[in-house]
Amino acid sequence: MAYQIGLYLIYGIAAQGIGFLWGKTGVLPLGQSLFFGIAAYVTAITLKVDGNLFLNLVLAAMVLALIAGVAFVLATLVFRGRNESGPYFSLITLALVMIAEQVAGTATSLTGGFNGMSGFNSLGDLDPFGNFYYVIVAATVAVSLLLFILNRLPINLIAKAVLDNEPRMQLLGFPTHMIKGAAFAFSAMIAAMAGGLFASHQGIVTPTSTGFALSAEMVILTAVGGRFHVLGPLIGAVIVGWASAELRGSFPYWELLMALVFILVVLKAPGGIAELLEAAFRRVWPKTPTPLTPSVVAPPTRSGTRPAPLRFEDVQLKIGVVRILNGVSFETPATGIVSVIGPNGAGKTSALNTITGNLNVTGGRIMLGEVRIDSRPPHNALGNGIGRKLQVPSVFFSLSVSENLAIAMMAGRLRMADLFRTTPLQWRSRSLSRVLNNPSVPLKNELTDPVQHLPQGHRQFLEYAMTVAAEPSVLLLDEPCAGLSPDETALMTELVRVYQIETAGLVIIIEHDMSIVEAISDKVLVLHLGQVLAFDDYKKIRDNPDVQAVYAGGTK
Amino acid sequence: MTALLEIDGLTGGYQDTNVVFDISVKIEAGSLLGVLGRNGVGKTTFARLVQGGIQASHGEIRLDGQPIGNLPAHVRRCLGIGYMPQTAMVFDDLTVQENLSLGRNGKPPDRYFDLFPRLAERLKQPAGTMSGGERKILAFVRTMIEDTKLIILDEPSEGVQPENIDRMAGCLKERVAEGAGVLLCEQNLNMLAGVSDLFLGIDSGRVSMTGTAASTSREDLNAVLML
Amino acid sequence: MSSVLLLNLAWQISTLALVALGLAIVFGKLRIMNMAHGEFVMIGAYAPVITSMLGLPGWLQLPVCLATVGFVAFVLERTIIRHLYGRMFDSLLATWGIAILLREIVELVFGRGYQSVSPPLTGTFSVLGADYPAYRIAVIIGIVLGFIGLYLWNTRSKVATQIKAMVGNPELAEAIGIDTARLSAGAFVFGCCTAGVAGLILAPTVRIEPMMGLDYLIRSFFALVVGGLGSLEGLGIGAGIIAGTQTFLGAVASQTYGYLAVLTLSILFLWLKPNGVRSSSH
Repeated sequence: MAYQIGLYLIYGIAAQGIGFLWGKTGVLPLGQSLFFGIAAYVTAITLKVDGNLFLNLVLAAMVLALIAGVAFVLATLVFRGRNESGPYFSLITLALVMIAEQVAGTATSLTGGFNGMSGFNSLGDLDPFGNFYYVIVAATVAVSLLLFILNRLPINLIAKAVLDNEPRMQLLGFPTHMIKGAAFAFSAMIAAMAGGLFASHQGIVTPTSTGFALSAEMVILTAVGGRFHVLGPLIGAVIVGWASAELRGSFPYWELLMALVFILVVLKAPGGIAELLEAAFRRVWPKTPTPLTPSVVAPPTRSGTRPAPLRFEDVQLKIGVVRILNGVSFETPATGIVSVIGPNGAGKTSALNTITGNLNVTGGRIMLGEVRIDSRPPHNALGNGIGRKLQVPSVFFSLSVSENLAIAMMAGRLRMADLFRTTPLQWRSRSLSRVLNNPSVPLKNELTDPVQHLPQGHRQFLEYAMTVAAEPSVLLLDEPCAGLSPDETALMTELVRVYQIETAGLVIIIEHDMSIVEAISDKVLVLHLGQVLAFDDYKKIRDNPDVQAVYAGGTK
Repeated sequence: MTALLEIDGLTGGYQDTNVVFDISVKIEAGSLLGVLGRNGVGKTTFARLVQGGIQASHGEIRLDGQPIGNLPAHVRRCLGIGYMPQTAMVFDDLTVQENLSLGRNGKPPDRYFDLFPRLAERLKQPAGTMSGGERKILAFVRTMIEDTKLIILDEPSEGVQPENIDRMAGCLKERVAEGAGVLLCEQNLNMLAGVSDLFLGIDSGRVSMTGTAASTSREDLNAVLML
Repeated sequence: MSSVLLLNLAWQISTLALVALGLAIVFGKLRIMNMAHGEFVMIGAYAPVITSMLGLPGWLQLPVCLATVGFVAFVLERTIIRHLYGRMFDSLLATWGIAILLREIVELVFGRGYQSVSPPLTGTFSVLGADYPAYRIAVIIGIVLGFIGLYLWNTRSKVATQIKAMVGNPELAEAIGIDTARLSAGAFVFGCCTAGVAGLILAPTVRIEPMMGLDYLIRSFFALVVGGLGSLEGLGIGAGIIAGTQTFLGAVASQTYGYLAVLTLSILFLWLKPNGVRSSSH
């Protein structure tokens, strides 16, 4: 019995790794038995060659580190330059595990081929049917504790935010490909640890240990048990393992029943058994949502570089055959508010996209002071001092308002060591408090509300607050007043003006409403057909005959 | 005589949360109802309840006297209700041309190309690569060329430059003159005030103001938005 | 290159293109990662087994195949798949469950053992100086003609555009009068039926058993990955590269090397060219 439970726990540990990766970052690994199996084979070979416990443990640590490193590099390379997880990465892991299974079955001299490897003692010569069970239990407890601790740290919130809205995370300066790569490496390491335990526990390793079927099985255990909860995958592994051992022999429709349960879980209870249990638990002991309380003064931001002029030098942008920007050149002052106007389709939003690196220019260059900033990955923009608010409010819809703000507070401030402290979740800063404490800004009374229930206008203010939290010296605002009522519009323009005065930075704002443009602009940039039509102060722009012709005629 | 569209005690929302409550209003053929209200008061929900994207929990909707409240959106479209959503208003993956040709019983869009020449230049381009304002214009033109008796528009002017807003208003007046009924949800009073025959103000999901174009002053409209 | 190898290549490529066609519709168009695709091929392959068990005449094989596969696909679409549009990972998991379900049911009905059926056409045909089974030649010609027909229909029909519109923005599709429930069910059933027909065609040349689907699923996925989703030409190119590599390396080296080469190729495409071989032409 303990022997069987030990095996279920080993699968459960590997499934916990899957749950961490899939539940938090949304990356679904289909080839986790690649790491499980490789570690199992390495363990088998080592134990066969030498049973010295100390040597074995040192080697195990090295192998785990190596696997984590390889997994990190692999995932980071694949995720680089993308801002979604998609099915492609999952299919790559699937193909990798199929290669591993094929190699393990063919490379007979190394792996023993289809018959596998056997004839070695377990780690430390413990009895697999006796004392080794306690080693497995200890490992299970250790992994679970580690995962519970991670849940309380900023990385948990960061991972959820990556899953929710990756482009926004990049604009907040987070290198999302590395975050996902690290999560993948961590889950790979857990799988490898489980694989090592497996070899030692079973005394035999065959190609199925690194096969596709085992990978799929572990994903099923994770899904049924519940991927959003630390203990979910463990529960899934033990319940499914136990039930299948009990019923497989006596009940011929067992596999059918399992398949049906699995389909039902995917359709009706994506949180699996763990979430059902938690819901039942919460019915007895309800939990009221508490907002994160900002109580710790945040360290200074790294994105408030010295004000510098922004210079476009003959910037070209082609997407497919369409020419979006056609030799745009201008230089802004180092401080002030620059409005960008122009007919629909003039290239206003695209120009901002080239500044933040969301689009790579196809010619020319963009300089911020002496630094060339075009065609860099978007997560570099904030480091250069550039904050961006998008045209359609882009926030973390599955998180609460206070969680959204907490993420924004970490932007441009978080250092590696802070990942392992809880204090970053409570950071506050003057610039953010100023926005929140303004009595007209609606956010303060809805801190625990999920953002998806917020009306459009409130999302505009939330995204604005998140963008200024990092105190960027260059603030790019894309139609921040769209969808706002007249009084909300007045409030937004006031916030922008105050921010510019306080930071003495540069604000670039796309706006259609000429009364707003007149009220706040130091300079106005008119774009038309992907070119600069005029760049001057508001009065001169208003009187410019070219500009009047474009706006009056509707002709080209 | 029955009006083109009659709405009685309409209540509904998302899942089990109602967002609009007990709204009753009529739209005659050849008239435009301007629906205004601040953010989040339920304008979009109201439009979608009439269009069929979400189903009402109470109340009745009749088109030409026939109850349509239980019909799915695509059937309501076949009965003559056109709709331009506030967000996701075009098919991003399709070209401009495909967007314009996919609707039922579409008329050729050529005359609208004179008003919005950028559309004609971008026929072969995927709609998703156009700017926000251009997509609004594309969705607007798509809604205009469909053969419909009732046109529902949700914030068509958002992100559109003032000159194009005026052209949109002109197109709407033409359709109304041809006998169509229009339900226009807007926050932009410049657009709304010039074209509406009737006003319906919404606050917290309920009717907060009604009035005709003659009886309603700009201050009354501002009051609905300012509350 | 011997003419038999050439004919084998044509056979492998054309049958893989047919097998992958259904997945190209269901995954490429409807965005359902159908892990049960191979099981529809498997069910189709059982159609001749059914007709011979019931003592039905041979010409009923195709109707029986379409009726069985179509019915199963329709029921699954209405009960399960329709909740999964726009949820790609969930569709992968749920259809994985469906795959197990279908395999188990077939195993309960027909048993675990191999079945085999004889081709409707026997004898050989002399092509390019080699004697080649007449059935295979007929199949190759039939598939090529079928794809030409499909291509012509596809360029004239609005259905492909409607499906693209529906998947990208289902609410707007409803709003412009597309009956999305009917369209998605129709496309799913059609895709599964082509898989079933592929199974029926392959039945005389393979061993029919409940687990046979997995290999077809995987090769179809990789053909789509390499060729790129969303176009018939891409499907043909992908099937050509995958089946071509596997057949060629299988002939000159070994099956294992062919298999490993296909997997490596797929990883490279997934990593460097996730939109397939044709994405560079833009």
